[in-house]
Amino acid sequence: MSIAHSFFPYKILVSSSPFLFECWTTHSLQDLRQQAPIAAKVFVQRDYTSGTICQFQTKFPATLETRIDKQQFEDTIRKLNSLYAEAEKLGGRSYLEGCLACLTAYTVFLCMETHYEKVLKKIASYIQDQNDKIYAPRGLLLTDPIERGLRVVEITVFEDRSTGPGR
Amino acid sequence: MPAVSKGGGAAGPSSSPASSSPGRPLRPSRYVPVAAATAFLVGSTTLFFCFTCPWLAEYISMAVPVYNGVIFLFVLANFCMATFMDPGIFPRAEEDEDKEDDFRAPLYKTVEIRGIQVRMKWCSTCRFYRPPRCSHCSVCDNCVEDFDHHCPWVNNCIGRRNYRYFFLFLLSLTAHIMGVFGFGLLFILHHTQQLDRLHAAVTMAVMCVAGLFFIPVAGLTGFHIVLVARGRTTNEQVTGKFRGGVNPFTDGCWRNVSHVLCSSQAPRYMGRRKRFQTVAVQPPFLRPPLSEAQLVAKVLDNGIQGDLHRSKSSLEMESQSADAEPPPPPKPELRYPGLARGQLSLAASEESSLLNKTPPTPTMYKYRAAYNSPSKSHTPLSQSYSSKMSRGDSLKESSSLLESSQQAAYRSEPSLDGCHGELGPREPNAEAPGPTAPGGGILGYSLGGRSFPSFSDPTVLSVAGSRSSSVRSAHAGHGVLGPPPPEGASSTSYQSLANQTPRSGSLSYDSLLTPSGSPDFEAAGPTLSPGRLRAPMHIRPLPHAHHPPVLGYSSPFLSAQLAQQRDPGLHQASAALLSSPRKAYLHGVSPPPTPMDRDPQRHPQHHARPLRFSRAPVLADSHPVAWARSLGSPDSPQGTVSPGPFPHRPPLGKSLSYSSAAAAEMQSRLVRKASAGAGIQAPKDEIQMKSYSRSNGQPKTGPPPSPHHSASSPSSPSHMGSPTPLTTRPGPANHSTSSLHSPTHKQGGGVKKVTGVGGTTYEISV
Repeated sequence: MSIAHSFFPYKILVSSSPFLFECWTTHSLQDLRQQAPIAAKVFVQRDYTSGTICQFQTKFPATLETRIDKQQFEDTIRKLNSLYAEAEKLGGRSYLEGCLACLTAYTVFLCMETHYEKVLKKIASYIQDQNDKIYAPRGLLLTDPIERGLRVVEITVFEDRSTGPGR
Repeated sequence: MPAVSKGGGAAGPSSSPASSSPGRPLRPSRYVPVAAATAFLVGSTTLFFCFTCPWLAEYISMAVPVYNGVIFLFVLANFCMATFMDPGIFPRAEEDEDKEDDFRAPLYKTVEIRGIQVRMKWCSTCRFYRPPRCSHCSVCDNCVEDFDHHCPWVNNCIGRRNYRYFFLFLLSLTAHIMGVFGFGLLFILHHTQQLDRLHAAVTMAVMCVAGLFFIPVAGLTGFHIVLVARGRTTNEQVTGKFRGGVNPFTDGCWRNVSHVLCSSQAPRYMGRRKRFQTVAVQPPFLRPPLSEAQLVAKVLDNGIQGDLHRSKSSLEMESQSADAEPPPPPKPELRYPGLARGQLSLAASEESSLLNKTPPTPTMYKYRAAYNSPSKSHTPLSQSYSSKMSRGDSLKESSSLLESSQQAAYRSEPSLDGCHGELGPREPNAEAPGPTAPGGGILGYSLGGRSFPSFSDPTVLSVAGSRSSSVRSAHAGHGVLGPPPPEGASSTSYQSLANQTPRSGSLSYDSLLTPSGSPDFEAAGPTLSPGRLRAPMHIRPLPHAHHPPVLGYSSPFLSAQLAQQRDPGLHQASAALLSSPRKAYLHGVSPPPTPMDRDPQRHPQHHARPLRFSRAPVLADSHPVAWARSLGSPDSPQGTVSPGPFPHRPPLGKSLSYSSAAAAEMQSRLVRKASAGAGIQAPKDEIQMKSYSRSNGQPKTGPPPSPHHSASSPSSPSHMGSPTPLTTRPGPANHSTSSLHSPTHKQGGGVKKVTGVGGTTYEISV
C-alpha cells in the first residue's frame, strides 16, 4: 500500500516497500508514460580528477548492484566519457570552426551546428540506444546529463513489483 | 576591476529608456553601462567614418576605411556575442537530485583535481554543489560555468561559453581604438590649419574619446591576456585562489590559449529541448545474479540510496553499533533527525559521561584543521572506521563504512573561506543543537566569539574540515565537554576560525592550535570569498560557547585522567602526552595533574610547559602539518611536533587537506572511542579522545606504536587495527598515531594509558 504524503503539489511520497524508499514520482513523468513507479534515483557525479573536462565517475553505485552488471554500467560510463572527450577535443576541426565563425562574424552559427552539438546528438542517441537495449529491460533509465548541465548522470531506478519491493 | 571594459563611461547617455512591461521589476540601472558603451562605440566610430575616413581614403588609400570597417565589424560581432550569449548558466537542480542533501550534507565538498584539493560549495539557490570554477552570479542569480566575472558593460556574465568572445572583443576594441586614434591623429596633423572646420573638430572629439577609453581598455586587455596565458579566470585571480599555490586548471600557456580560442563552442544548458523517454519501463525486469558481496551489501545497505547516501547511512550504522556499547549518559539534544541524530546522541552521551560537565580542556577539542587529507588519508580513516566497526559488528559494516568514509571524504571539505562563516552543513538545524550545553560548545566555537573557543578554534577548524554528519554529531557530543569542540562539520567555521584565531597570536593556545597557512589551503581555495557568505544558515548557535580558559579547565580533567589510569602504560602515555608541546596545554592548564603524575617522567616536562607555550606558534604551524601528515602517512615525520596530549589526535589531524570527511570520520570515531574507559566503549573513547585532542589543539598521536599496548588498552582492541591513534590505543593500529609519536616519543617507553574523566582513556606514549 502506498502512503500518499503530499509535501508538494506534485510530489508524492510512496512507501510501499519495507525498505521505505522514498519514491519520488513526478506527475509529469508518469503522465507521459506508463512507467513503473520510481523507486530511487542514482546520480553519477562528475569526475574532476583530470580537471574540468567532462568525465563521469565510473564507480559503480551500490544502489545498482542488484539491478545491473557492474561491467555494463562501467562500459556505458566509459563510452560516455570518451564521447565527451571527443566533443571537447582541441583539434583541427574545432579550430577551423572557430576561424570560420570569426570570418563570418559568427553568423555561421545560425546555419551550422557546432562540433560539440554534433557530438551531443551522438551521445543522446547512444544513451537512447543503451536505454532501449540494456537499461530499460532492467528497470533503469539513463537521463542525458546535458539536461542536468553535464553535472550528473541520473539513473532512475524503477520499482520492481514482480520480485518484491526495492532492489 | 577588470570588469570595466570601457573607461569610466561616466557621462554616458543617461537617457536610457526604462521601458518595461508592467509588473516586471525593472532595473534600469543595469542597462546604463551597456547603453553607454554601445553609444560610445557606435557613435564615435560612425563619426570617424563620416568625417575622417573620406579624406583618409583619398589621401592614403581605400584600404584604410576598409581595414577600420573590418575591425569595427569584428568589435561589434564580439560585443554582441559577449552580450547576448548564454555564458554557461547551469539549470537549477531538480528536487529529486538534492533531496538527500537538504539537511545533512556539508556545505563544502572536496574533490581532488590533479592532486590538488579543490572545494565545491553548495549553492543554495541552484541546489547543487558548484562544479569547480563555477560561481553564482548575484546579479544574474545563476550559477555560471567557468565563471569569470559579471561585466556591466555588456550586462552579462562572462563564463565558459562567451569568454572567448569577450576576450576577442577586448583585443579588437583595443585595435579599433588604436586605429581610430592613429588615423585621426594623421588627419589632424594634415589639417592643422583647418582645425576650426567641422571635420577637424569632430575628428578631435573622436580622438579624445578614443584616447580616454584606450587606457582602461588596454589595461583590461593586458590583464586578460595574462589570465588566458595562466589559465585563470578573473574570479580566481581577484580572490587570490592560487596565489601561493598551484592552479590545477592550467595546461601550460599554449594549451590555455588554444583552449580559449580554438575549442569548440560549449553547449548551452538552458533552453534545451527536453527529450522524453520513448522507452517503456515495465516489469518484469532482468536481474543480474547476486554475488556474495552483493548479498552482504544488501544486508548492510539498510536502505541507502546511492553513493551519496553512503556516508550518512554508514555513519548511521556506526552509531547503531556504537549504541550496542554500554549506554552513555543520556544526552538530551538531538534535534535533527536522521543521521545527525544518531551521531549527536552518541556523541552527546559519550561526552556527558566523560566529563560530568566539567569544561574540557580546550586541547581536547582542538581538532586540527587543515584537513586537506589527500585521498589516501581517507584510507586510514576508513580503515579505522572499519576496524572500529568490526569490533562490535560485522565486517560488512566496516566495509560500508569504509566506502562511506571515502564518500564522506569526498563530500566534506573544510571551508577555508573566512568570510563564509558557515559552519557545517548547509542547514543550520543539522548541527548540534544548542540545548545541550555541551553541544553548544561546539557551536560556540563556530561563532568564534569566545576567547576560549579561540583556543579550540583550531580544533574546531580542523573539525570543520570534516563535514560528515557523524562528525557533527560527534562534535555536538563534544560540546558537552565544554569548550568549542571542533566543529568538524562546519568547514566554514573552520575557515573563519582559522582566519580569526591564532595567527593573530591572541592566545598562545590559538597559535598552537591554529594551523599555519599551509599551501594546500591556498591551492584549495580562496581565503576570501565575499560573495559566498551563507552565514545565516550555517552558523550554529553556540549556546554556551564560552569555555573556561584552557588553563583552568584541563586540570580537573587531567587529574581525573590520572586518577583513572588503569595501566602503567597509561601513565606513560599521559606523560608522553604531557611532554609534547601539545601536551603543554594539558600540562600547563592543569596544574593538579602534575603532582598526580604517577609517572615521574612527567615532571621534567612540567617545567617545559612555559617553553611550550611560548612555542605555541610554532606548534600551531607544525600542528596541522603533523596532523595532516599523521593521517596520511603513518610514518610521516612528526618530529617537530610532539604528539599532542591525546594520542588520537593525529588521526584526526590530516588538517592540511581539505578532506574534512576524513577528519570527520576520525572525529566521530574518536568521539566514540573517547568515552570508553579502558576498553569500555570504543565510541566513547573516541569522543573523549577527540575532545581531549581538540582541546589540545593538536592531533596528538597516540602512544608510541607498540602493538602490545593496544592489547593492554581495553578500549582499543577494536581500534587496534584502525588508524585511530587518538584513542587509547597505543598505537599499533594507527599509523598516524604511531607516526606522530615516533618522532617524539618513540622510545619504547610504551604507551601510557590515561583515563580521563568520565572514563575516557587515551594512551600517551612515553
